Amino acid sequence: MTNTRIPGLGERPPVEFTFASRSVVAQAGDSIAMALWATCDLTLRQSSRDGAPRGVLCNMGICYECLVVVDGVTVRACTTLVRAGMHVELGGKP
Amino acid sequence: MSADRVLQADVGIVGAGPAGMAAANVLAAAGLRVVVLDEGHRAGGQIFRQLPVGSHNAGAIAEPPSHHHGHALLATFDQSRVTLRCGASVWDARPGRLWFEQDGASWLLRCRHIVLAPGAYDRCIPFPGWTLPGVLTAGALQVMVRGFGIVPGKRAIVAGSGPLLLPTVTALLSAGVHVVAALEASSRWRALRALPGVLGNGARLSEAFWYARQLLKAGVRLRWGWTIFGCEGDGRVQRAIIGKVDRSGRPRRETAQTVDVDVVGAGFGLVPSIELGLHLGCTSRWHEGGAGHALVVDAEQRTSVENVFAAGEICGIGGAEVAMAEGHLAAHAVLHAVRGTAVPVAVRKKARRERGAADAMLRAFAPLPGLHELAQADTVVCRCEDVTLATAQAAAALYGSSLRAIKVGCRAGMGPCQARICGPSLQALAGREPTRAMDLPVVQVPLKAVRSETIVNAPPA
Amino acid sequence: MAETADLIVVGGGIIGCAAVQHLAQLLPRSTRMVLCDRGAIAGATSGSCMGHLMVTPDDAQEYAFTARSVQLWRELNERHGGFDYNPTGALYLADDAADIELFAVLRQQFIDCGDRADILDAKQLRELEPGLAFDLPGALFYPGDGVVLPMLACRAMLQEARLHNPNVSVRPNCAIFGVRRAHGRVLGVDTAMGPIDAPIVVNATGVWAPDLAEMAGQPRLPIYPRAGNLAITGHHVTPIKTQLLEVSYIRFAHGTAKVDPTRTDDLGGHAVNMQPQTNGGCLIGSTRQFRGMDRTLNRELLHRSLLRAQRYAPGLAAAPIVRTWVGLRPFSIDKHPLIGPWPGLEGMWIAAGHEGLGISLAPITGLLLAQQIAGVKTAIDHRPYLPARFAP
Repeated sequence: MTNTRIPGLGERPPVEFTFASRSVVAQAGDSIAMALWATCDLTLRQSSRDGAPRGVLCNMGICYECLVVVDGVTVRACTTLVRAGMHVELGGKP
Repeated sequence: MSADRVLQADVGIVGAGPAGMAAANVLAAAGLRVVVLDEGHRAGGQIFRQLPVGSHNAGAIAEPPSHHHGHALLATFDQSRVTLRCGASVWDARPGRLWFEQDGASWLLRCRHIVLAPGAYDRCIPFPGWTLPGVLTAGALQVMVRGFGIVPGKRAIVAGSGPLLLPTVTALLSAGVHVVAALEASSRWRALRALPGVLGNGARLSEAFWYARQLLKAGVRLRWGWTIFGCEGDGRVQRAIIGKVDRSGRPRRETAQTVDVDVVGAGFGLVPSIELGLHLGCTSRWHEGGAGHALVVDAEQRTSVENVFAAGEICGIGGAEVAMAEGHLAAHAVLHAVRGTAVPVAVRKKARRERGAADAMLRAFAPLPGLHELAQADTVVCRCEDVTLATAQAAAALYGSSLRAIKVGCRAGMGPCQARICGPSLQALAGREPTRAMDLPVVQVPLKAVRSETIVNAPPA
Repeated sequence: MAETADLIVVGGGIIGCAAVQHLAQLLPRSTRMVLCDRGAIAGATSGSCMGHLMVTPDDAQEYAFTARSVQLWRELNERHGGFDYNPTGALYLADDAADIELFAVLRQQFIDCGDRADILDAKQLRELEPGLAFDLPGALFYPGDGVVLPMLACRAMLQEARLHNPNVSVRPNCAIFGVRRAHGRVLGVDTAMGPIDAPIVVNATGVWAPDLAEMAGQPRLPIYPRAGNLAITGHHVTPIKTQLLEVSYIRFAHGTAKVDPTRTDDLGGHAVNMQPQTNGGCLIGSTRQFRGMDRTLNRELLHRSLLRAQRYAPGLAAAPIVRTWVGLRPFSIDKHPLIGPWPGLEGMWIAAGHEGLGISLAPITGLLLAQQIAGVKTAIDHRPYLPARFAP
């Protein structure tokens, strides 16, 4: 599902990864956060104490609201680019 | 094992935005070895964000006239012999040394001179529902559209204060989003205070006209004296409650109305990213308008620490024109230090003129104190630690009103963002008059969260 | 006109707050009590430390002292909560054959005190803490320890105090400039908010206790700042759920080996201590170094403790560290806290010098102090902690 991209900018090579065990096809150069936004996955983590859904806030590496777990390591989804075969899980409360 | 992860340069520049690139271009042209560190994935910074390699904006996303400066700057930067390290998080520093993490590896840059150009980030003022997915900062929406070519949603509201709202609205319009409302909390009359700065500056004037035309074309009216009261939705934002504010920014609840949206951009100005400067020991000052702390520099962009220079937003919010002019000036000041060459008078004058215009703008859009009444008792104010307004206020009442007291009293500001999001408004939320100087943030290593092994494997100074 | 109070506690750290809590419980409701701190409540050592509730079985007295305090923590949690009390128990770890022998010694000490502790083999350890390194030979598990968030616990203590005595006045940003006295008696203090007359002043200022003592005309108390470097990870990354510490910690932190806090060339040492946080983060300490009031990070020591933490919990290597800092422990020269009256200056009381056990020992300290001030029988033998041992 890539209908949430602005047309006319030129398509980049596809990159496939998994998010919460589901396959996602992004484009090379996407951040994890933006690749998931394009597939309408807005919730990236659950907040530490309340477990409330949280997603991208600043989109520039400041707020740490978009923390996800990539192959076991916690990273910011907005500053980490997609990589083929990566396994991305919701961050926060397990 | 870390010996090969050391870079040497004459000048280390932090930030590849307008200030950093302008400085780098001058220094590289003069034959100095320059390394630029940036947390983003391409040069440009937030304002001149580039799409990922392989995509091109051939007019699909509208750009204001000032962006031709950005293209020129980027073109020179791309052809220069500058070493650019992207995805680099600077986490520790001392004069002449910058430690950074890149791709999970621990690096050191040794450089005689440092130019700090890390830019700024959005000022957040909490309101009910602002933690819902789909509620972003104004800057975040611009990154989404202009940095990644992603459509933010179908129906959007943009709310906040300051010149940054307009590029956010135009970015959304370019992406085909229906902008239901654009809300500026300042009154039209307060905004007039920005006029002297704009009128005396041709570039700013034409920029303002360009934005006005874009809004007009799309039929979007900027509503002065309005803001967002709250957001609602099940798992993501679905509705926004908007309404009028009084002259001090206090919500007039009787004017509230609900609109259906699927994305909200909120930005109440910008906060200078001064953490690295403070960590290096640079002197800072409080901007009287309430716009936050900024580094103090002399007439040629030198900070109070020897061989450390600063340019752009870190010296006070001003926008790309100021940043470029100051980056340029900082580079000449570095050249003066290295080679003894004189700093051109015209370069110095240009920087001073741009800064003057920017300061007028800043005064006109300084944070309105009443906006801190948007948050309700159960509104989360510290998102990292899930601390509500009531808890933060109780902490301030018992532990003291200093930033430190509020933090230890409720953990607000102790999470991964290290109070970058809640810190600028915490004391105001706890009752301090926002125009009064807030406490300086305490900066602790690592400046950005990095892996434990990055710290352990840090190459020795 | 000076304000009048019955009692002033100076120092809004965990010790001062515990003192106020127990004083409010034991003294009449009409007692006018003021708690002053020159900065924030919990703003100094109590806001920059770990929160280990630790039972140490060195001997019967020490066991009673520590175990009773941990019991008081449990009770405070039952009444108030809100400070992330977590009865995790403690795992003593070792990777050195010489240190493994300490398990049996320590276990026997717990048994001698009428308590229990279990030696776990490698398999049992893995079942309890799957995130630990596979090659660890085993551990000693003591179920009685726990973890709290000290800075939030201060609030619970002050809330408890106000339940018993609504007149407790808490004053952050209220520095003390002098202790007024005459004829061998305390008369009050001069503060940033004006003078206060009071016949009783409690010095609960931790590493600053010698300074306040000097203000009161006492000799400098033998309490010295002992720096610790700490690091905390982001949320939900920690592979552990138990309070972990190297068994060598016992020797290192509480050993009887002579240390000289006045030397200026102390390189410091470390025995790692890892604490799971309620938000899923991990707090990593604990280094020890004498270097005055210097609170700059000692990167060398910090790196060593992070490496030790990774050694035991390999998953921590990739965990994000969000903050590092330095806290100062109030080390007393004979390794016992000072709790009680100062002889020769009537009305002057001291509660300070707990080194790294201040959080754990705060409730019993507050209780023993309050019981002595109220003139009632103390819960345990209080004599080993009387400051009189340092009086000229």
